[in-house]
Amino acid sequence: MQTTQLDEPLILETLRQVVDPEIDCNIVDLGLIYAIRIDGGKVIVQMTLTTQGCPMHESIAWGVKNALRNLEAVEEANVEIVWDPPWHPAMMTEEGRARVGVRS
Amino acid sequence: MVTGMLSLFTAVILLTLRPELLATYHYNQYVIATTHLFVLGWICTIVMGAMYQLVPVALETKLYSERLAAWQFLFHLVGFAGMVWMFWTWNMKQVGHFGSLLTFGVGLFVYNIARTLLRVPRWNVIATSVACALGWLSLAVCAGLTIAIGKCTYETADTLAPGSLLGAILHGLKSVATFTARFDQIAAMHAHAHLGALGVFVMLIIGISYKLVPMFTLSEIQSPRRALASVALLNAGLLGSFVTILLRHPFRFAFALIIAAGLACYGVEMLAILRARKRRALDWGLISFLTAISLLAPLSVLALILSWPGLALTTLTGRLENLYGFLALAGVISFAIIGMFYKIIPFLVWYGSYSTHIGLGKVPSLADLYSRGLQALGYWAYVAGLAVTATAILLGHAVTVKCGCALLGLSLATLGSNVAKILSHLLRPKLQPLDLRPVLQGDL
Repeated sequence: MQTTQLDEPLILETLRQVVDPEIDCNIVDLGLIYAIRIDGGKVIVQMTLTTQGCPMHESIAWGVKNALRNLEAVEEANVEIVWDPPWHPAMMTEEGRARVGVRS
Repeated sequence: MVTGMLSLFTAVILLTLRPELLATYHYNQYVIATTHLFVLGWICTIVMGAMYQLVPVALETKLYSERLAAWQFLFHLVGFAGMVWMFWTWNMKQVGHFGSLLTFGVGLFVYNIARTLLRVPRWNVIATSVACALGWLSLAVCAGLTIAIGKCTYETADTLAPGSLLGAILHGLKSVATFTARFDQIAAMHAHAHLGALGVFVMLIIGISYKLVPMFTLSEIQSPRRALASVALLNAGLLGSFVTILLRHPFRFAFALIIAAGLACYGVEMLAILRARKRRALDWGLISFLTAISLLAPLSVLALILSWPGLALTTLTGRLENLYGFLALAGVISFAIIGMFYKIIPFLVWYGSYSTHIGLGKVPSLADLYSRGLQALGYWAYVAGLAVTATAILLGHAVTVKCGCALLGLSLATLGSNVAKILSHLLRPKLQPLDLRPVLQGDL
């Protein structure tokens, strides 16, 4: 595996591998990623989910950690799930809205 | 799920082989047995299982006890299977015994869900409707048991001293039987049926849909007051309807109007939620569910006709009653369940097979677990089956009932096939490796 320098675009592109299986759209284009903090080899992702209380939230959080650990430069990956601000379809990217068929 | 689906297939096959069950008046042992197979074996089994999953999700809490749920299922299984068999052979004493087992299971269910509700962080219209449904469920099973007690004889009671335990029980049952003999038996059966169908199943459909429809369509409740009003009117109307149906009182029309008003509020709120949705396309699961709840409109009209004061019992009235029951159970409740099946079963299987693989491999989406073509075929076959069977019931034409039920059977075959496809992912998950080359090569 190549060692690539960690930066936000790389992290976001990696997280595009993590897909919400009900909506069939990745979590980046869904607008679920609120913030990324990089401290050397440690990455902290602050994110939300589309529905509070959904039992998928643990698996999606694990999925984020698994995806980040595919990057050799990542030594530690943590996920913070927050519910404020609550997720809204307006947070989706254009690609996400087109994929899911969301109207503006 | 397996128990529920087997019950459903058995009921539909039975109706296809014995179409006269729907084409003739409904008060006979075979119709009652088949109805209880449908209601307890299919609808109740699935609804209870779904509640254990959905109530915690919808209300953002955890189920109180998995163990109680397992015990409840055992009592339910033995209870309903025995009841259906004993209804078919018209052994009402054994109906009462098996019914008691089922009632004990219902007690475990009500306790478990009630304790779960007590943990809810934010009380809302969904919690209110679930709580109400628990109340109506308790009343429905008590009413059913009471009717069964009323149909038994208690010769042995006279030979036993009231002071002994068995004597006390039998004398008590005999007193209940004497009390129930005051009421018209068919009216009592209708009142019991409304407690279950409206108070439990329609109430839950309404409550849970206020969570699931916005969730799946990326929308939200537009008017919480209107949502609450729908539940309140349904409760008020049902309370009055139960008493007035039981007493064959002319006021039952007024309470039917109140229920219709509650359902109208629900319909208006659902339309508002759908108009405000961000996700344009509706999948077949949602389309099935929405088609099912749209049948509440003609069902309400039928209810108003059948509750008209002084309506004479004619052949046509009898057929309208059959149609009413059929539309309620097969049209609204079952079709709504089938729609939600396609949302919930794939999720449960996906969760079991793929939830730990996100980020490690390319996992399928929920819609990839089954065939959308089969699902669409199943939808149209069900709609056609409902229409043909409903027409046949109105005409009292057994052969056409057979054709309608065959179409329903075809639809269920597609459902069974898709459920098998979904479950195959439990035995042989289909994982593919992630393609990280664009990321690792820096091609962003």
